[in-house]
Amino acid sequence: MPSLFVIRGNDQGARFELTESVLGLGRDSSNAIQLHDTEVSRQHAQIRRDDNAYLLCDLNSSNGTYVNGRRVRQHRLSSGDQVQVGSTLMLYTGPSGDVDEDLAEKVDIASPQPPGDESHIIHSVSQQEGSRLFDLQAELPQNSWLARARSNLQVMYRTALAVSHTLDIDQLLQRIMDLIFEWVEADRGCIMLVDPGAKKLAPKVRRTRQGLPTDDKITISKTILDYVLERNEGVLTTNAREDNRWNPAASILQLGIREAICVPMQGRYDVVGVIYIDTSSSPQEIIRKGGASKFTEDHLKLMIAIAHQAALAVEDTRYYSAMVQAERLAAIGQTIATVSHHIKNILQGIRGGSYLIEMGLAEHDESLVRKGWGIVEKNQHKISNLVLDMLTFSKEREPDLSPSDMNRVVGDVVELMQSRAAECQVQLQYRPAPHMPTLVFDPEGMHRAVLNVVTNAIDAAAEGTSAGCVTVSTEYAEDRGVVRAIVEDNGPGIPAEQMETLFSPFVSTKKSRGTGLGLPVSQKIVQEHGGRIEVSSVVGRGARFVLEIPATPPGSGAQTLASDVQAS
Amino acid sequence: MVSKRSVLIVDRSEETREVLATALERRGLQIFASGRAERGLELARAHRPDLIVLDLEVGDAGPAETCSPFAEEARATQAPLVVLGSVRRNERSALEGEFVPKPYHFGPLIRKIEELLSARGSYARIA
Repeated sequence: MPSLFVIRGNDQGARFELTESVLGLGRDSSNAIQLHDTEVSRQHAQIRRDDNAYLLCDLNSSNGTYVNGRRVRQHRLSSGDQVQVGSTLMLYTGPSGDVDEDLAEKVDIASPQPPGDESHIIHSVSQQEGSRLFDLQAELPQNSWLARARSNLQVMYRTALAVSHTLDIDQLLQRIMDLIFEWVEADRGCIMLVDPGAKKLAPKVRRTRQGLPTDDKITISKTILDYVLERNEGVLTTNAREDNRWNPAASILQLGIREAICVPMQGRYDVVGVIYIDTSSSPQEIIRKGGASKFTEDHLKLMIAIAHQAALAVEDTRYYSAMVQAERLAAIGQTIATVSHHIKNILQGIRGGSYLIEMGLAEHDESLVRKGWGIVEKNQHKISNLVLDMLTFSKEREPDLSPSDMNRVVGDVVELMQSRAAECQVQLQYRPAPHMPTLVFDPEGMHRAVLNVVTNAIDAAAEGTSAGCVTVSTEYAEDRGVVRAIVEDNGPGIPAEQMETLFSPFVSTKKSRGTGLGLPVSQKIVQEHGGRIEVSSVVGRGARFVLEIPATPPGSGAQTLASDVQAS
Repeated sequence: MVSKRSVLIVDRSEETREVLATALERRGLQIFASGRAERGLELARAHRPDLIVLDLEVGDAGPAETCSPFAEEARATQAPLVVLGSVRRNERSALEGEFVPKPYHFGPLIRKIEELLSARGSYARIA
């Protein structure tokens, strides 16, 4: 399935599968590829299917669409392309081509050598010698074919590395095959990887030069494969006999010549596979070229160098997949641990309340029952808040937009938190903006976003050394077209090393009290509005959180999200 | 005049403090309580309670570090120490006092507190 994988930006880690023939890309929620990036236009670009490929078309976006660093209006995507819009970088992975075919049927490892095949090794180059080509000190005639090929190899390795992060080895091998066909005039090629379990070679990618029949089998002699693997040498073979090569009467003039190169894919530690390419010359070609062979020792050296780079990329991809898998498991573990811990504390509260109720019932003391019931209810709230936060965080939700008053929404939060602030002996002040027009946003969402930040501020202020104080204010900046809610506290502040994980889910510094979901949820809601949260803090003096969203007057832009803000 | 027996509760959860205080006060005990470790230690030094209940989550430090100053106070006055927390089995050996894993039920916890107090009472009489 073709896809765009976000490798950098707010949506990092998201994979958008291109399932439909036309897909919108932009900040607006109507897009199949919705990016939470304020530098991306609402309707930024479109991706259209065109036969087997996809076309990327910019829709006059303010900041443009870039592919592999070049600005494009329209571009035919090919696997490995890096698409940049705003500050989001995505990697395109195309349809898998002939990867899914049953390759085992098309590549044959023949043992013993099939009758009639007189292929024999005419050159062999050790892996070490071959990869010395990649060493820049190696002297090559300027502008020679090999020198140019070498410089391309560096490009290839970088590309392969980028592709290796798509986690798909088959795609990576396709890419490598593309490069080989660009540089070597091969008719057919295939890459076989050593199956780590079975210790056997399994064909992964097969390629045939355009215009040639694709269904003929590639037959590789096992003797040659064993030679390559065991001796770690690349070989050049031909079925032309040395003695009759120049003899026009020989059988090659009826059959043609088949030349092949087979090289080991030597990685850092092991041989991970082999690359095989071959080419046939018809009797006519042989006569025309006077019998010169198509593959030379230079080709062999180049192939050894390519195979080495390919092997490194394969190893990187495997390593990267394993690492991502491990990180994913660790993240799941961390998530479960934090959520369980939080639920455990809520459970403890419910047990406490129930205990008081039981005691009250046994002693016929209604005041005790009431006290217990209060505790049970409070914990009911806690668990529903936890579930709400988890839901807000886990799924794509649409802000429920309606004309609202930011002063009122923030004022409600302040009022709601007054009792909590008093409990913590923290003074909670509110300074609403003198002029605040009715604007379109999600009042419940913003309530939650501000609430989480204010809750944190009160907790922080309570821990400070001086008398705790939290000031909440609102601002309407008409000139910049934004509205802000600002929350300041005089708590201990946020150390620089915590700034990075401030918005990471399930990272709480408040131990048992924090779910670690408060700030991530606030950030998600604000981003869904096309806004952002800015944090500044001086350790020992306090912290300041600014929640800023685009100010959208009612009636403008059909009440969808804010019009494109001038991207900064 | 026999002064009331007293229990110090150090637990970050206001609810837990309230439940324990309510239940123990009904058993004729005097309660001191705090949600913070430092304040808890001050109360321990000032009132020399007959028993200390400590939830390990009061401190920012690890379980052993949070526990040890309270254990020291408890040793000085020979008061039993009840430690509440979710601590891995291998870390428990570093803790002093009676360990009760969370989440716990309040009934058994209160019975344990009563038992420890009465044991201390008989210990005091023998001595």
